[in-house]
Amino acid sequence: MGYLTSILILGCINIVVVLGLSVLTGYTGLFSIGHAGFMAVGGYAAAIIYIRLHVPFALALPLGGVAAGLSSYIIGYPAFRGKLRGDYFAIATLGFAEAVRLLLNTTYPVIGGAYGLMGIPQKTNLPIALAVALLAFAGAQSFVRSQHGKNCVAVYDDETAAQMMGVDLLRTKLMALFISAFYAGVAGALYAFYMAYLSPSMFGISKSSDLLAAVVFGGMQSIIGPVIIAFVTVALPELLRFLLAWRLVIYGLLFVVMMVFRPQGLLGYRELDFGPGWRRATAAVASRLGKPRPPRGPQGPVEGTP
Amino acid sequence: MSDAPLLSLRNVSISFGGVRAVHGVSLELRKGELVGLIGPNGAGKSTVLNLISGSVRPTEGDILFKGKSIVGLRPDVLSRIGISRTFQNIRLFPQMTAFENVALGIHGKPLYSFAESFVRTRRAWRAEAEVRERALSLLELVDLTRYAKERAGSLPYGLQRRLELARAMATGPELLLLDEPAAGMNEDECGSLVELIRRIHEESSYGMILIEHHMNVVMELCADSLIYVLNLGEILASGSPREVQADQRVIGAYLGAKRSANERRRRRIS
Repeated sequence: MGYLTSILILGCINIVVVLGLSVLTGYTGLFSIGHAGFMAVGGYAAAIIYIRLHVPFALALPLGGVAAGLSSYIIGYPAFRGKLRGDYFAIATLGFAEAVRLLLNTTYPVIGGAYGLMGIPQKTNLPIALAVALLAFAGAQSFVRSQHGKNCVAVYDDETAAQMMGVDLLRTKLMALFISAFYAGVAGALYAFYMAYLSPSMFGISKSSDLLAAVVFGGMQSIIGPVIIAFVTVALPELLRFLLAWRLVIYGLLFVVMMVFRPQGLLGYRELDFGPGWRRATAAVASRLGKPRPPRGPQGPVEGTP
Repeated sequence: MSDAPLLSLRNVSISFGGVRAVHGVSLELRKGELVGLIGPNGAGKSTVLNLISGSVRPTEGDILFKGKSIVGLRPDVLSRIGISRTFQNIRLFPQMTAFENVALGIHGKPLYSFAESFVRTRRAWRAEAEVRERALSLLELVDLTRYAKERAGSLPYGLQRRLELARAMATGPELLLLDEPAAGMNEDECGSLVELIRRIHEESSYGMILIEHHMNVVMELCADSLIYVLNLGEILASGSPREVQADQRVIGAYLGAKRSANERRRRRIS
């Protein structure tokens, strides 16, 4: 596989995780700095059931996602029951990810400990990565416009009011966390079958913070914004390899600049939309394609007149 | 009107630390009845509403809704069994459109499953269509159809109040708690709000509790029902608007009791 292909595949994998994280952080308002932990759970689970139980690859991917999703309850249930919010929940996820990493690091039988897990066949190729990313994108778009997705936004906007309107906070938060962990797990599985090797050091805190950065940069309550940034954060360091040592410095700088000039992120609270002209253009394109344009509001445009 | 009360508070008390916010309050509300709850600032009116809607738990006493105790139930559960409210300081979802705010009230408990939010079945589409229809009819009721696609946070204040009312009705309540719906409104806006609440009251069978500081709003809306006056966490008086207005204790609570001539003299000396 060529150099470009590998960037594209890694970009797609990153997009899948970030899509999930934007459901959790961008739409539900729960910050996670531990999503690499869910990637690790998904990647290891998929690889092990493939190697040991000979589960086919196509099934190992979603099962990796399910494993990560289930593991999210370990952190989610006590945290949301205890009404941990904001920074506290973020720290809890950080703790979870570190616990996962250390556990993987020190468990030698089956998973190989710090040596890493070897003997995974390379199965992920560009068509598969692209297909999964597209599926994940369509799923996330569909979810955030669904009633469940709108309830997530309500929780983000005002928990008390949401609960008073009948939204079950615990359920809604657990659901958002499950989705994001599932996405991370699938991405981890794709990653495992691409690298053909897994090591706990791949899933450290810097990976987690890269993911969160993509969501925050891309914008809250946006799907397309984080997707763009997710791809850019993979491609850009490759293009600017000579700056690699300075990457984190530039990140930090960009963060500060962004927070000062555009605190809502690249495309916060919107899908691709640059004013009425743009809306007309996309509507025209969409009608030619026979698809409704991405509505900013509910499913399809609301007929505003009785 | 049925005989069993829709809501009854029995000797309800709550203390925050050492402060007795509400003490020994009992009140009853029948289906389709609109009662007013008034009192000076800090009397505990909002706390009574918070107790009924489940955001705080009474330290003593019992709250019955349709004959069953609802003490200790979560607000979302109460919303589903038919208690809805508006807030004193408007709490809309500012990033959502007016339409989405109302729709959320309808699907606070989603009408289709989690899996169907990824792959919509015909049932899910039908549920979406129903929600849209109901939400639009509620928006029409409060005369906000034109603003359906506006972000709630960008609406003018008076319209936000109306929107919150529509959202509260969207949950399909039997008991509607209105916490100062006319707060911060001018005379004109108050007038149209009174009209709206009266229309809602007449067209629906909601039991309603109205907290309000604008006396003319309460007096007009509760003209032929009860007003409870709360002071220092206790019910000071209750009765028709006229009775309440004439009650010396009520006037005392609002304006401060008139001191006796003796008292005034003593004060002057010291």
